[in-house]
Amino acid sequence: MATPVRELIQESPHASHLDEAVGEVFSLMMGVSCAPGGEAVSEDRETITAVIGFAGAMSGACTLRCDQQAALRMAECMVGVRPDELDATVKDAIGEVCNMVAGAWKGKNTVLAAGCMLSTPAVVTGTNYQLHLQQPEFRVDRNYRFEEYAVCISIVCESIQ
Amino acid sequence: MSEIAALIVDDSSVMRKIVERALRQAGLSLNKVHEASSGVEALDLLKSERVQLILSDINMPMMDGLEFLRQLRAQQLAPDVPVVMITTESSEEHVREAILAGAQGYIRKPFTAEQVKERVLPLLEPA
Repeated sequence: MATPVRELIQESPHASHLDEAVGEVFSLMMGVSCAPGGEAVSEDRETITAVIGFAGAMSGACTLRCDQQAALRMAECMVGVRPDELDATVKDAIGEVCNMVAGAWKGKNTVLAAGCMLSTPAVVTGTNYQLHLQQPEFRVDRNYRFEEYAVCISIVCESIQ
Repeated sequence: MSEIAALIVDDSSVMRKIVERALRQAGLSLNKVHEASSGVEALDLLKSERVQLILSDINMPMMDGLEFLRQLRAQQLAPDVPVVMITTESSEEHVREAILAGAQGYIRKPFTAEQVKERVLPLLEPA
């Protein structure tokens, strides 16, 4: 008997898949290694958060949050020039990193790869804000470190079809 | 290989720069790189500009990459120009759908210049 879709999604090793996806994206697109560990991103400073929505077999979101310096460094790695501030290029870059992490993560599960779509990125900047999501089916929250910078990435599953 | 003009279609300007860089690192001689931030913009551009290669994202607002490809073929714009999709969508079903819509190649993000070289250069060799 075929394994139900719900089981195939719920029992997938989401955290290790996320770690692999993050490592691939940072290495291939930015040329830096990014590994789990380190402190969470401080909410006292201005931070930038990108959100990619999931829809289809799973609904939910992937979020990527970092502070200004980390965002500037990521944009520099991608475009070759360090922007002076959180401008449109930086927001675009962070949105794309989140997009690629979300896509690489879902691609590691055959059900999600085929049956789950991604939204275009939404990017939020500011200080002292929290993201609130309804009671999820599951969520994965990971802190990562690349060079001296911290990045927090989350996968939140609101529901499975 | 002679110099070519390429069109890169992606709603992210950062990604368009990365794709152009990867094409050059892959050894392509580009005499012109056109950019479009949407399928609509790309179709409009192709009515007046000649290119020898098109690379397109799939997930874009207004008109996604697959619909852009279908419109490209239906309007017979750039009929002999190879189209390579560059996208985060990675399943075999997505690849199949892109090929059925008329794409000649498919590159998954994140990618390396080597992967771009492997997928794109053979499409530009003379028959």
